[in-house]
Amino acid sequence: MYARLALRNIRRSLRDYIIYFVTTTLVAALMYSFLALGFSPNVISMSENMSMLTSGILILSVLIAFVTSFVIGYAIRFMLEQRKKELATYELMGMEVKTVCRLFLAESTAIGGCAFLLGSLIGTGLSSLLNQLVRNIFGFPHSYQVVFFSQAWAITLLSFALMYGVGMLRAVKVIRRRKVVDLLYDSHRNEGYSFRSIRWHILCVLISIAAMAVGAALLAELVHIQSNRAWLYLGGACLLILAGVYELHRQVPFLLYQFAKRDPYRKYRGENLFLLGQIGRRIQSTGRTMAIVAILLTVSLATLFVGLTMGAGYRANMEAYYPYDVGVAIDAPLSTDSMEPVISFVQDRCAVEDSVVFYLYSVPDVPVEALSLSDYNHLRQILGLPLVSMDDDEFLIHCDTWRSMKEIQKALEREPEITLTSQTLHAAQTPIMTEPMEQYQMAGTKGFVLVVPDKVAKQLLASKIRLAIKLENDGYPKLKGELQGFLKSDEWRPEVQTGYELPERVTFGVTVKAWGIANSLTGFTTISFCGLYLSIIFIILSCTVLAFEQLSAIDKNQKNYRVIDRLGVSSQRRVALIRKELSTVFFIPLLLPILLTVMLVFGAQIFFREAILQEGLVLLCGLITIVVFCVIYFTYFGATLFLFKRGILRQGTE
Amino acid sequence: MGELLKVSRIHKYYGMDGNVTKAIQDISFSVHEGEFVGIMGASGSGKTTLLNCISTIDTVTSGHIYLNGTDITEIKEKELARFRRENLGFIFQDFNLLDTLTISENIALALTINNVSPDQIDRRVQAMAERLGIADILEKYPYQVSGGQKQRCACARAIINQPRLILADEPTGALDSHSSQILLSMIRSINEELSATVLMVTHDAFSASYAKRILFLRDGTIFAEILKGDDSREPFFERIIKILTMMGSGVSDVR
Repeated sequence: MYARLALRNIRRSLRDYIIYFVTTTLVAALMYSFLALGFSPNVISMSENMSMLTSGILILSVLIAFVTSFVIGYAIRFMLEQRKKELATYELMGMEVKTVCRLFLAESTAIGGCAFLLGSLIGTGLSSLLNQLVRNIFGFPHSYQVVFFSQAWAITLLSFALMYGVGMLRAVKVIRRRKVVDLLYDSHRNEGYSFRSIRWHILCVLISIAAMAVGAALLAELVHIQSNRAWLYLGGACLLILAGVYELHRQVPFLLYQFAKRDPYRKYRGENLFLLGQIGRRIQSTGRTMAIVAILLTVSLATLFVGLTMGAGYRANMEAYYPYDVGVAIDAPLSTDSMEPVISFVQDRCAVEDSVVFYLYSVPDVPVEALSLSDYNHLRQILGLPLVSMDDDEFLIHCDTWRSMKEIQKALEREPEITLTSQTLHAAQTPIMTEPMEQYQMAGTKGFVLVVPDKVAKQLLASKIRLAIKLENDGYPKLKGELQGFLKSDEWRPEVQTGYELPERVTFGVTVKAWGIANSLTGFTTISFCGLYLSIIFIILSCTVLAFEQLSAIDKNQKNYRVIDRLGVSSQRRVALIRKELSTVFFIPLLLPILLTVMLVFGAQIFFREAILQEGLVLLCGLITIVVFCVIYFTYFGATLFLFKRGILRQGTE
Repeated sequence: MGELLKVSRIHKYYGMDGNVTKAIQDISFSVHEGEFVGIMGASGSGKTTLLNCISTIDTVTSGHIYLNGTDITEIKEKELARFRRENLGFIFQDFNLLDTLTISENIALALTINNVSPDQIDRRVQAMAERLGIADILEKYPYQVSGGQKQRCACARAIINQPRLILADEPTGALDSHSSQILLSMIRSINEELSATVLMVTHDAFSASYAKRILFLRDGTIFAEILKGDDSREPFFERIIKILTMMGSGVSDVR
C-alpha cells in the first residue's frame, strides 16, 4: 500500500523532483565515467605515470561526494518544504512519524536508485567516449567500444550511497523535529524584510576588500618565512581571503539593489517597483546561498580554465622541452671518448642518424656558459634549423626562454661588446637566437648560452659535457630508464680530460623525446581531465542549488503575481516580469565569478603569452571555459524558467 | 447620478455533462455612480463568483455586464488588464499587499502600473496616506503594521487611481471589531466625500449596514434587495438581520 502511495507521490511531485533527478543522474554519470577512465587498463598502460590520473580522479571523487551530499541534503529539505501540508495530513490521519519517514525515504530511494541506474548507463557510454578521446590524444589507434568497469561502478555506488545516506539522515531529522502545526501553518508566517543603508553596505565591501588585501599581503610575506610561523600566516591569510570573498559576494547584490532603488525615475518606471521588490526579497532571503554559489562558481570556472590552460600549455610546449631524440648532460669535464660507449648503447637499441658530443664552457667571472659555434651549428643541424655564421670577433646569445629575454636585450644595449680571454667580441648582426634548444640542460643551464667562435671557446674551461643524438625513428619511452641504468652501471667507465679534476658531486641528466612526449601527454590528460571533472560537477551543483532556490519561491511568487494581475498588469507583461526576475536572480551570483574569470584569462594571457609556445592558446582555453560553463548554466536556467513560469502562472490568476 | 454598472441576466455554470454547478442563475441589477452597494449571502450563494465576474477575473456563461456603457464580457483578453487598471480598485479580505514592498511602495505600485509620472507619485502617496491616517507607517513593511493598517493601505492602493468602481471582497474578514469599524467608516467616507462607487461582498450584517443598498443572494439568485433610505444604521442593521433570518428559514422570496 505504502509502495503504491510512494510511487503516486513521485508522479504527482514530478515538477519538484525533475531537477533533482537530472542533477543526481548527471553526477552519477560523470562520476562513473571519470572513475572508469581512471581505472581503464587501456588508459593506465599508455604511459608509466598514468596512475596520476587514477589518483587525481579518486581524490576528486571524495571531494565531489562530500560537496554533493550537502546539495542532496539541500534538495531534500526543499522537497520537504514543498510537501509539508501533505506530510501534516498523513500525521493528522494517524500515520506515525516513523511511517511518514519511511514513506519519504522510499520515494527518495526510488528516485535515487533510478538516477543511479540511468547515470551508470549514461556514464558507461560517456566513459567509452572519454577513453577514445585519451587514446586519440596519445595517438593510439581507437574505436568506440562500450566497456563496463566494475571497480569504478562499485566506487560510484559507494559514493552515491554515502551522499544519499547523509541526505536521508537530514530528511529524517527534519521530519521528526517539525510539529504538525508548523507543517500546516508555516506559510502563514510573516516574513521580515529590512535593508541597511547604502553606507553600511559600502563599508562592508571596503572591509571585505581590505581583508582580502591583508590576506594577500600575508601570503606574500609567507614566501620569506622558513619557520613554523609560516603555518600561522597561511591559516590567517586563507581565513581573511575566504571571509573577504564571501562577504564581498554577499554585499555586492545588496549594493546594486540599493543603487537601483535610489533613483525614483528608475524605481517608478513601469513595473520596476514590483520587480525590485521581488529581487530585494530574494537577495535578503537567499543572499547567503547566492554568495556560496558565487564562490563555488568562481572556483569551478578558475579550475576549468587553469586545468585546460595548464594541460594544453604542457602539450604545446612539449616539443620545445624535448627537442633532441636523446640527450645526455653530465656536469663534469669528461673526455669526448667517454661518450662513445653511450652512443653505442643507444645504437644497439635504435638506429642513430647523427650525434654530437660537445662541451659547455665556463666564462670567467660571469655566471653564464659558452658554446662553440661549430657545436652550436651541429645542434642546429640535428634539429633541422638553418646554420648561422658570424665573424671571428663576434658572438651571439641563444635564449629560448622568455624570462631572461628582456634582461639580455638590455644588457646587449648597454654592452654590445664583451672581452673573453683578452679578445674583444662584438654582438653579431642577429645577436639573439630563440629556437627551442633545451636551454636548461643541453644548450646551457641558465636558460641561455653564449655562442662564441671556436678559437675563443677552446681557450675557456670545458667544464660540462653533453651528448645529443638524432635517431632514425622516434625511439621509445623506456629508452630513458635503460640509458639511465647504463650510465649508473659499472659497464660505463668515463674518463676525465687531461688536466681537469672531477668535481665532488657529479650530476647527470638524460632526456628521451619519446618518454618526454608520453610524459607531457600524461600531464596534459591528468590536469585537463581532473579540471573538467571537478568543475563540471561543481557547476552542475551550483546550478542545482540556484534552481531549487527559485523553485522554492514559487508559492510566495504566485500570490504576488496574482496581486499585480488584479492591479491590471497584462499576462504578457507578467511573463516578461517572471523572466526578468528569474534572470536577475540567476545571474546575480554570476557577476563576480565572470569578472574574476575574465581577469584571470587576461592576466594569464599577459603573464604566460611568451611562456606558452602556441599563440592564442590562453584565450582559446578561456573561450572554451566560458562556452562549457554557458552550456550547463543556460540549460539549467532554461529548465528553471520553464518550471518557474508554469508554477506561477498555473495558479497565478486563480 | 447615472448608471455605472449594469448586470444583465448573467449565468455562471461550472463543470460539464451531468455534473454542472449553477453558481449564478439569471441575475440582473444596476449600480449608479456614487452608490455603496452591499452583496450578502451565505457561503456558496454565489456572491464571490458574482464579484469575480464583475471584476473580469472570471467570465460569465451567458448574459452581459456593462460598466459605463462598455460590455465587459466582450472585452478581449489583451484589453482586460488595461480595463482593470483604469476602471477598478480592489480591496481583499487578506489585504493582498506585497510583503516585498513598504506600505508607501505598495500604494505607489498602483500608480506606477498606470504609468503615472514619477514626479507625482511620492506627493500623491503622501496625500492619500494622510487622508487614511497611515502617513506615519509609510516606510514600514506590511509585516511591521497591524491588520487594520494593512487594510487601510490596501484601501489607499485601491482608490489612489480614482477608479470608477471599488470592489471589496470581505474587507473586514481578517480584522478585529475595532479595526473593522474604522475601515468601514473609511470606506463610507470615501464613498460620500469622493463620490466613489463601492460594491462590497460580505456575509457580516454589521459590515453590510454601512452600505446604502443591499442585494441578498441565495443559491445563485437574488433573494432580496433592501435600501437604507433615510434610516440610520441601527434600524437598517435590524432589517438586514430580519432578511437573513428569513433566508435561513427557507422562505423562497420576499420581494
